[in-house]
Amino acid sequence: MNTSNNLRKYISSLNRHDSSSSTHDERGSTFVNHWQRGVPAYREPVMTPALLFFAALAAVGLTLALVRFVSPLGPFSGMNDAYAWGIWKSFNVLTLTALGSGPLAVGIAAWVFNRTKLHVIMRTALVSGFLFYTTGLVALGFDVGRAWNFYNILLPWRWNTHSAMLEISFCMPVYAAVFLAFENLPLVLERFYYTGTDATKAFLRKCAPSLRRIYPFMITGAYLFPLMHQSSLGGLLLLAGDKINPLWQTPFLPLLYLLAAGMCGLGFVTFLLLISCLRYSRPLDVDVLGELGNLLSGGCFLFLAVRFGDLVWRGQLHSAFAFDKWSFLFLFETALILVPAVALRSKLIRETPRSLLHMASLACLGGLLYRFIPTTIAFAPAHKAVYFPSLPELLMAIGYISLGIVAFALAVKYFAVLPGGVEDWNHMFRVVRLPRAASRAKGETLWPASPSTP
Amino acid sequence: MNSEITRRQALLGILGLGGTVAGTLVAPAAAEEHPAHPVAPPDAVSMLYDNTICTGCRACMMACNDANGLPSDTLLSGGLWDTPTGLNSKTKNIIQCYEEPNGAGFAYVKRQCMHCLDPACVTGCPFGALKKNEWGAVTWDGSLCIGCRYCEVACPFDVPKFEWDHWNPKIVKCEFCFEQRLKENQQPACTGVCPTGAVIFGKRVDLLAKAKERIAASPDKYFEKRVYGEHEAGGTQVLYLSNVAFEKIGLPKLGSTSLGHYATKVTSVIYKWLSGPIVVAGILGAMIKRNWDRHEAERPEREKQTGLQDQL
Repeated sequence: MNTSNNLRKYISSLNRHDSSSSTHDERGSTFVNHWQRGVPAYREPVMTPALLFFAALAAVGLTLALVRFVSPLGPFSGMNDAYAWGIWKSFNVLTLTALGSGPLAVGIAAWVFNRTKLHVIMRTALVSGFLFYTTGLVALGFDVGRAWNFYNILLPWRWNTHSAMLEISFCMPVYAAVFLAFENLPLVLERFYYTGTDATKAFLRKCAPSLRRIYPFMITGAYLFPLMHQSSLGGLLLLAGDKINPLWQTPFLPLLYLLAAGMCGLGFVTFLLLISCLRYSRPLDVDVLGELGNLLSGGCFLFLAVRFGDLVWRGQLHSAFAFDKWSFLFLFETALILVPAVALRSKLIRETPRSLLHMASLACLGGLLYRFIPTTIAFAPAHKAVYFPSLPELLMAIGYISLGIVAFALAVKYFAVLPGGVEDWNHMFRVVRLPRAASRAKGETLWPASPSTP
Repeated sequence: MNSEITRRQALLGILGLGGTVAGTLVAPAAAEEHPAHPVAPPDAVSMLYDNTICTGCRACMMACNDANGLPSDTLLSGGLWDTPTGLNSKTKNIIQCYEEPNGAGFAYVKRQCMHCLDPACVTGCPFGALKKNEWGAVTWDGSLCIGCRYCEVACPFDVPKFEWDHWNPKIVKCEFCFEQRLKENQQPACTGVCPTGAVIFGKRVDLLAKAKERIAASPDKYFEKRVYGEHEAGGTQVLYLSNVAFEKIGLPKLGSTSLGHYATKVTSVIYKWLSGPIVVAGILGAMIKRNWDRHEAERPEREKQTGLQDQL
């Protein structure tokens, strides 16, 4: 077996203490538990009680969505003429797609700015991003009142090109259906390749070069499109004008929404990697996670710089420190972003999984809060009204999220999504159940000793 | 590690920078589609409502329901008569009464679509279901509407209403009786029926002049000695004179810049001829291609080393 010999040689070459075979690694630092490639979690059971619970929630949500399709919006949701947008738009789409911007943020870092360490986590970002976008689009589909007229998107002469809503209606489905789907294609084809017949293998081998030929062009589109629609999501709120509190209503909304998306994207990929590796007993990679933490800190600082620069430019800094209701809300949101921004400057915090998880979660919460507040909390329609989502509305919103969680768990199991070491790679993608302890060698810890801390 | 920029990439970069500069220089020179302070065309029709004349007889509400085929909103009256609490999906026009808290006096107000000169709802409507029509009437076309309700979020006057209780919901708002009356050379139902002349119909230039005449004739009578709608949100085609503060009768305090201008002044430059996206795609594409080519050059060696195929 030539391949396994090569593999064994390579693994031993990765061991930095093995001075006899000191082959260099182009990706920078090297040590045993270095994440090298996506590896399926094939040793893990699929149908766990938690997964069944989320599947049940998803089923409830989707059933309600079908009922909603034939029922009017009114009795179903808590929306009214003053708060015409409920949580399906303001949370599932405007807010949660920020978490789904991992492919944008990590992709730009990896492919545009050549942070090559991050290539190995692209698949985690891509799968989660695809799920956030598709569930968001499903939410939109059941939110609009006259969905049957959406065919107009195919007739460009009917477009109102001044409308941010049009930009989103066009850009988001195209991004999910074309660019994100294409970026997720390799991991599906890879499974077919390793599990398929010889004919399949031959066919896929023939297709691979053309896939690689268009790949750089497709990822260019995959970064251009979200740059446009993530900023347009903020652009939507410009037309609401004075209805939105001046702490949030600014001509910089599109840029800030985009920066929040980048921040949440980095934060959520970090968060997701940490919790999935914990769940699937994967060793972690200090270097890659540290790099993510570093970028996340930079993203938080950039967001805060634009946020405060804008307040100063508009002369609204005083309302940020007026210590009234809005000021406290603003300060809370800012603190959620400032804490990880400062804390993640420290290498020790970046390289301690627990602190990194906490800081990534804080940054995500801050970004989400920033994107949610102007749509609902700091949104005051001209006449007094209240909005609180109804039970079916909440169940549907939760259902979409649960659907994403279930799909992610299945994807991690059947496709090479989560990063792992080359020694974990299995050509056969075997679906076998082994006791969990077997997934790790004896004496091996979850968190390998960092080369920088002897 | 070869980080030299090839001739082609340099060219792309120069093209990109040139495009950005040209885009920013050329775009403002072209005619603005959403000027900050739009000017009403000479044939723009208008309504002038003066609440010092209105007696609150609500004849305009009945006439509006008749002209638009709207049902009576009898929810509050237990099925007896039309008693809407505000503009809603059954009410395109309403007379409301404001009472001073100490009972010192009261004032009526007629609410309907303001028919803005640069309407926020029209700017936001993705497929142009809401449209600024001939003479400036803002109308709704059900065949283009996807029911996204952006018009409701955008309208500073909270005018468009959505049929929450219908499976085939419409956006309901005053359309200046465009189809049924304006096109037939008739004035809208509400102005036609008004017995006291509290709301009158005419060209916007004429009615604006008339309103200013009334203010000049009795300056102490009118709040702030000004016409509401002359400048609000860039100007509206419905004009108001009031003897109490406009905010008290539900007319919000607004700036004089059109919301369409505020929302599109930056994006209209960036998206002009798609120059912004093309420039960004060029810059991203050049950098990605460079890193991609490096990746592809290193790939065979790496695959040989590990015996595993490269993963994308």
